[in-house]
Amino acid sequence: MPHHRATPAVALAGLVIAIAGCVTLARLELNHLRDGFETDARIIHRLLSQRTAQQDAVMAMLALLQPATQGAAAPPGPRISAVYPQILEVRQRDDNNPWPDAAMQAGEDESRRSHRAAIGGVDFASGRYQLVQAAAPASYAAQIDLRSMVPWEEWPMQPEASPVRVTLEYHGQHYVVQAGHDRVGQWQFDFRKRLAADSQPFDVVAVRSVGWTDLPWLKMLGWTLLTGAALAALHALERQRTERRRAEELLRLGQVARLNTLGELAAGVAHELNQPLTAILASTQAASRLLNDEPPDLATARDAMVRTVEQARRAAAVVGRMRRVVERPDVATRLQPVNLQEAVRNALYLLEPECARLGVRPAVMDGTVVVQADPVALEQIIHNLLANALQALAQVPARERALSIAMQPEGAHGVLTVCDSGTGIPADVLPRIFEPFFTTRSGGLGLGLSLCESLAADMNGTLTATNAAQRGALFRLSLPLAKTP
Amino acid sequence: MSPSLSPLIHLIDDDAAVRDSLALLIGTVGLRVQQWGSPQDFMAQFDRAGIGAIVLDVRMPGSSGLTVLDRLIAEGVDQPVIMLTGHGTVDMCRRAFKAGAAEFLEKPVDDQVLLDALQSAVQRHVGSRQRNREDRDARERYAQLSVREREVLGLIVAGLTNKEIGRALDVSPRTVETHRANLFTKLDAESLAQLIRRYAALVEDTA
Repeated sequence: MPHHRATPAVALAGLVIAIAGCVTLARLELNHLRDGFETDARIIHRLLSQRTAQQDAVMAMLALLQPATQGAAAPPGPRISAVYPQILEVRQRDDNNPWPDAAMQAGEDESRRSHRAAIGGVDFASGRYQLVQAAAPASYAAQIDLRSMVPWEEWPMQPEASPVRVTLEYHGQHYVVQAGHDRVGQWQFDFRKRLAADSQPFDVVAVRSVGWTDLPWLKMLGWTLLTGAALAALHALERQRTERRRAEELLRLGQVARLNTLGELAAGVAHELNQPLTAILASTQAASRLLNDEPPDLATARDAMVRTVEQARRAAAVVGRMRRVVERPDVATRLQPVNLQEAVRNALYLLEPECARLGVRPAVMDGTVVVQADPVALEQIIHNLLANALQALAQVPARERALSIAMQPEGAHGVLTVCDSGTGIPADVLPRIFEPFFTTRSGGLGLGLSLCESLAADMNGTLTATNAAQRGALFRLSLPLAKTP
Repeated sequence: MSPSLSPLIHLIDDDAAVRDSLALLIGTVGLRVQQWGSPQDFMAQFDRAGIGAIVLDVRMPGSSGLTVLDRLIAEGVDQPVIMLTGHGTVDMCRRAFKAGAAEFLEKPVDDQVLLDALQSAVQRHVGSRQRNREDRDARERYAQLSVREREVLGLIVAGLTNKEIGRALDVSPRTVETHRANLFTKLDAESLAQLIRRYAALVEDTA
């Protein structure tokens, strides 16, 4: 059986499709995660860069707006802290007061050289750094708190829950902005970029580690199940088709076998009848010749006639034997209640490909009529009637094709009618339509309807043919209703 | 023609009634009929030397008529074979003719058709036997010729005059004339035309 051999191959193909689908899904998910990560990292970088630029601007403003005379105004620290919470404290240095540490002095030197603010010492461990702006008469230093510097309200991630680790790095010092998940996964996304402000050259470093658990397992499971289901459906469909094909094959074989048997039978009958006919013809013609002789050979001619009679009897016996062979005494013994609807459905099932080919949708009237019949004989009759109807329909244009099948009780009988919209039965054919060997089709044996009629009669029923009122042929099969128990 | 030399028709059919009636019919035109119920008996016993024809039923138990026909042809039997069949298909008909059947008739067969077929078959058989005998005679006579006589015959058949033959064989025309006279006697020929008609083929075969 081909489809049994194909099963492992189909299963393998299914596995490949499932795996390929899962890999694709995983890669799509990884790409999606990576895109999200990179977008977030760029946003972080931009936000932090904006903050540092802002701080630069504040420092520059301090330098520009300082009063011309020393000590005239209070240091601006507290007011600035109120607006910029990350600036914890602003110090001011004039020529008399040196910076408390060398790093701040170095920052001022750098600032003076570069004409912008500069780093005056970094303490990432405590999350602080000094930003120094050299100016005259006083220089300024701002102590900046990294935690307050982060614009949390604009932050693209949930700082507590996000798996992304974000740090700022400067000369080997680290400040952890966002802890993230610190497990090492299968895949790792990295982002590193220096802040845009030259005054505060910190590196923004973002790391996202993706492990097996981050893969879209649910989707992958769904895909696998879907593939399996599709394959199972395909397999079932294929098996159904194979079985259908086999059934059709069997049916066809059955018909061929029946035709072969019929052919054998016909050949046998032909031979059996030919022998006596040959003898009869030869004897009578010999007798005729003998009687024409001068003088006529009466004795031999008489002998020939006796033989002729014998051979005619022999031929008659052949015909009688034939009739007994063809009789079907067993149909009457197999009578049982049969639902006409079911028999029609079975016959239609076998003719479905033919119906589809002709574009005919048989209209079967609803109704349960149970008759007393031999199921096989009944199906054979219905099959024949439907096949005839389809052949008639093939003669008319496709959109005019209609086939209706109805069943209803009429008195003690159940009546099945098959009506087609074909060309109908010619008036001269109608009276002979059930005669054996009468056919209007070339290549037809002319036994189908004859057999149907005899089968119907064997089941105590009748089969009649008329032309429908509108158009087409109408066949009426009437069988006794089954006795209700 | 003595009765034993009148043509004999062999009728082979397993059906006695058919055989009897056909034999009766064939007998009405004066042909002798020998009936055979089985092809095996027929093959074992029939007279292959006799003049006549064979009527063979195609469908017989034990041995198909076509098989019998094949065996007859293989054996070199020269009596014409007429096949009779109950239901002749085109294929069967073709096979029969290919195998060498003289005629293929369908049962039941009309008397005139069968009798005409038989008579023409017998005539052909007699004719072919006649030709065969003449061929054999000619071959025997030709074998008696001397080498020189055969040379002379060959040149006569080629259309040369006595003078030309003498020049070709380097003998006198008189000697050629002597050979020529001997040829006509030995070959039992009455005219030059008869001599050439009968022996031209033989001369060409042995050349």
